[in-house]
Amino acid sequence: MQRACAITGAALLLSAMIGNYVNAAEVKGMTWLAQETSTWTETKAKLQSLGEQFPTSEALFEHLRKEASDGTSLDPAALPDWRGVWTRTKGGLSFDPDLKASDGATSATLTKAGQEAVDKKIHTLTVKGGEYDRISACSPPGTPRWITEPFLKEFVVTPDQTWLMNEMVNDVRRIYTDGRAHSAAEDSYPSWNGDSIGFWDGDILTIHTKYLREGDYQRGLQPDYSDQVELVERWHKVNDMTIEADTWAFDPVNLAKPWYTRQSWTKIEDPDHVLRLRYWDCGENQNNQVIKTEEGTSQFSDFNFVDDDAAVSSDPNVKRAAGDKAKPANQ
Amino acid sequence: MIPNLKSTVTKTLLALGGVSVATTIASAHHSGAMFDDQKEVTMEGVVKEFQYTNPHSWLLVDVTQPDGSTTTWGFEAEGPSTLLRAGIRKSDLLPGTKITITGHPMRDGRSAGSWVKATRGDGKQMNPKPMGNFALPKQ
Repeated sequence: MQRACAITGAALLLSAMIGNYVNAAEVKGMTWLAQETSTWTETKAKLQSLGEQFPTSEALFEHLRKEASDGTSLDPAALPDWRGVWTRTKGGLSFDPDLKASDGATSATLTKAGQEAVDKKIHTLTVKGGEYDRISACSPPGTPRWITEPFLKEFVVTPDQTWLMNEMVNDVRRIYTDGRAHSAAEDSYPSWNGDSIGFWDGDILTIHTKYLREGDYQRGLQPDYSDQVELVERWHKVNDMTIEADTWAFDPVNLAKPWYTRQSWTKIEDPDHVLRLRYWDCGENQNNQVIKTEEGTSQFSDFNFVDDDAAVSSDPNVKRAAGDKAKPANQ
Repeated sequence: MIPNLKSTVTKTLLALGGVSVATTIASAHHSGAMFDDQKEVTMEGVVKEFQYTNPHSWLLVDVTQPDGSTTTWGFEAEGPSTLLRAGIRKSDLLPGTKITITGHPMRDGRSAGSWVKATRGDGKQMNPKPMGNFALPKQ
């Protein structure tokens, strides 16, 4: 922990020394920095640099709140219109939508511990050829991973709360914008989506999230995050079909610097209103039971359309699963 | 220490399709390690049951074997909302519907695979991936 903090401090100092330091005043008056193709590399670097000027996520959040003069109250009669059904615009499962396969595993600047975790995943995937995703049994993805998940999303704005909902695992992030502070530290504990507070500045929603559980930004080679990860987000509907969010992840265990990314979601054209967000339950269909193998990869358990899975499968894990099922529960 | 780290990462990412949207849709909920994505199997049969469920749907197809027996194959796709965006409704594949279906087979020999594409008896294509940013494919 101390080592990670030292690395973060050194990175901040080095950043300032080499002139990559952008004064907060430079982005002080921004309402939103557009993602123009021709200038996005520079703009992204500027937003990354903004995050690096603050030692903690709360310092960045408080800076943004001060710049917004503590934010504005939403008029119940004129709420931001975030209606509709949305899905992630680009990036696949990559936390950084700009990351290309040729760029390597991540655009984050990792600590030694963070890099070791990624190296371990490289080893697992190259040697074993597969992995087990912890959400295979409908465990919540958690935040920040929530951001990368595909499928349908709905965003509900009310004067006092905004709900960011994903069809996947019936997952709802509640953002309290009524001026309340975070839960008291002594009464808080790590949870899947943590504790989120925020404020509106016109039609921009700024969010601070803490008290999160450890996890991974996504499966594959993407980094892990610790239960010290905290997130600052600025959400903005940039046009009728697009909502974007600047995100800065702070994690002294895995990240040597705050990790800036811009996320986006596209509204799905649904003039006949046929789409529905349906409940997710991995137990609803026997054929969706995914087990973790002894090697740490993934396998289906028994199918309901195969008479004797253990007899026809070449996988000892399937045979073992079938054997376990045959044993009485008290043995 | 793993040698040629960046090269290894790149190859692994490319092999996994780790940043492709197509892969996102193909197996966004669990690893696809159980399927052999280097192989495809194609078979003709009749729909036994369309399990239109979250988080994954399963199309069960009865396939007649050369000896006259019947084997039920299961083909996995994403859940109902993704299938709907691909233009595949539950009512499109009622029991008894003739179908030719292609999938990546299971590595362990069981009669299952991931659904890649299919053609219904009347010629309608049944590709389980969304074809645009629409709730239903545009005609």
